[in-house]
Amino acid sequence: MKINFLLNKKPVTIDVDPMKRLLDVLREDFQLLGTKESCGEGECGACTVLLDGKPVTSCLVNVIQAEGKEVLTSEGIAEEPLGKLLIDCFDETNAVQCGFCFPGFLVSSYYYLISNGELNLEKIKKALSGNICRCTGYQKIFESVLLACERK
Amino acid sequence: MDFFKPANLEELLLKMQESSENRYLLAGGTDINVQIKNGLIKNAEVIYINHLAALNGIKETETEISIGATTTYFDILHSNLIKKHLPYFQASLDFFASPILQTSATIGGNIANGSPTADVMPLLLVLDADLKLISKSNSRKIPVSDFYFGYKKHVMKPEEIIFKIVIRKNAEEGYQHFYEKVGARKTLTIAKVALAGLKKEKSGKIKEIKLAVGSLNEFARRLPKIEAYLLGKTVTEIDYNKIDELLNLEITPITDLRSDKEYRYHVCANLIRTFLNQ
Repeated sequence: MKINFLLNKKPVTIDVDPMKRLLDVLREDFQLLGTKESCGEGECGACTVLLDGKPVTSCLVNVIQAEGKEVLTSEGIAEEPLGKLLIDCFDETNAVQCGFCFPGFLVSSYYYLISNGELNLEKIKKALSGNICRCTGYQKIFESVLLACERK
Repeated sequence: MDFFKPANLEELLLKMQESSENRYLLAGGTDINVQIKNGLIKNAEVIYINHLAALNGIKETETEISIGATTTYFDILHSNLIKKHLPYFQASLDFFASPILQTSATIGGNIANGSPTADVMPLLLVLDADLKLISKSNSRKIPVSDFYFGYKKHVMKPEEIIFKIVIRKNAEEGYQHFYEKVGARKTLTIAKVALAGLKKEKSGKIKEIKLAVGSLNEFARRLPKIEAYLLGKTVTEIDYNKIDELLNLEITPITDLRSDKEYRYHVCANLIRTFLNQ
C-alpha cells in the first residue's frame, strides 16, 4: 500500500505493508537510526517520535497510522532551535551515559518544551515518565530539562 | 496479515457482516501490536478504524456525554467538556499507561481488548456508563457491567463494534469519589489492584455507595454484596470483619508475575477501608 506522510518536514511516499511498525519504517526504509528499539512493547520510550506533534511509541504505531500526518524524529528535532538547546543542556549536565535512551528522552523533553515548558520539576518528571533510562541517570536528565526551560 | 481500510463507517459495518474466525480492529494499536510481537495474533484479518471520524470525539447532549470508541486518553484528558462534567473521571485517568501511550491508546480499545486490568473499567462501572454497540442492522445500548462474562470474553456479536461510551453528565455530581491504582510505579504500570468508588452520605449514614475493582477477577466488576451491606450504615457501624468476609465472596485474586493473591486481597480490603474513612 502507498502511504504518504511528512517526515522531518519533507513529504515522503512509501510502498509498504501498512502494518509495518513506524519504528521499522524509520530505521529500515529511511535509515533514520536515531529512533531505537528496546522493549518493543511501549514500556521504555526509546522509540518515541512525534506524530502530528504528539509523542508516541513508534514500536506500537503501524505505518498506516502516519498516513497524511507529520512525523518528527530525534533527527528532525536536532535541527530545531529548541532541540539544539536541549542537546546542549544534556551535554552540559552530562546527562547522557550509554546514550541508547537519549533520542527518546530528547523527543519527550522537546514535546514538554513546546507544549508546556514550565520550570517545574514535578511536571517534567511526569512528562518524561514514559521513558526509561537503565543507566538510571534521571537526576541529570531532569536537571537538563530544567536548564532548557530556564534558557528557552 | 490480511489488511482492510474501510472508506467510512458504512463500509466497516458491511465488512463486519462477513464471517471471520480471526478478525481484529486496529485503532491505537497499543494492545494489538504487543500481541502481534509476542505471536499471540497471527495470520489475522486486521481492519483499520482509527481514521473513521464517526468513531472519534467527545460530544454532549442535554443529559449525556458520549465518547467515541477511538477517542484517545490524551483527548479525554484535554477535553473541556469532560473537565466540566466529569472531573473525577478525567483526573483519575491522569496516570494511565504513560504520557506517550495516552496519545495512541483509545478508550474503546481498552474495553474491547478485555484485559482484567484495563484501567478505565472500574471507573466506568461506578459511573454506571453505557456502551453503544452497533452493527449494520442493529444498534443497542448496554450497561458497561453487562459487557464481559469471562476472561477476555464479551457479549458483542461478531458483526458488532463498540460505537461509543455514554456517561450521564451528573454521574459523579454530589458524590465523594475515590480511585486508586496500585502498581510497582506511578506510570507505565499494570495494576496489581484498582478500586474506584463513589458515595453519598446523609445525616452521617451512607445513602449511596458504588464500588468497583479491577485486576481481581476475570473481568472488572462492582462489589454488590459489600455495597448492600454498607447502605444505611454510619462509619462507626461498619464491621470490617464482615467486609472481609463479603470481599472473599466477590473477588478471586490470582498470583501472577505482578503480585500474589494474598497481597491483592489485603490491599483491596485496605483501599475500601481508606475510602470509607475519607
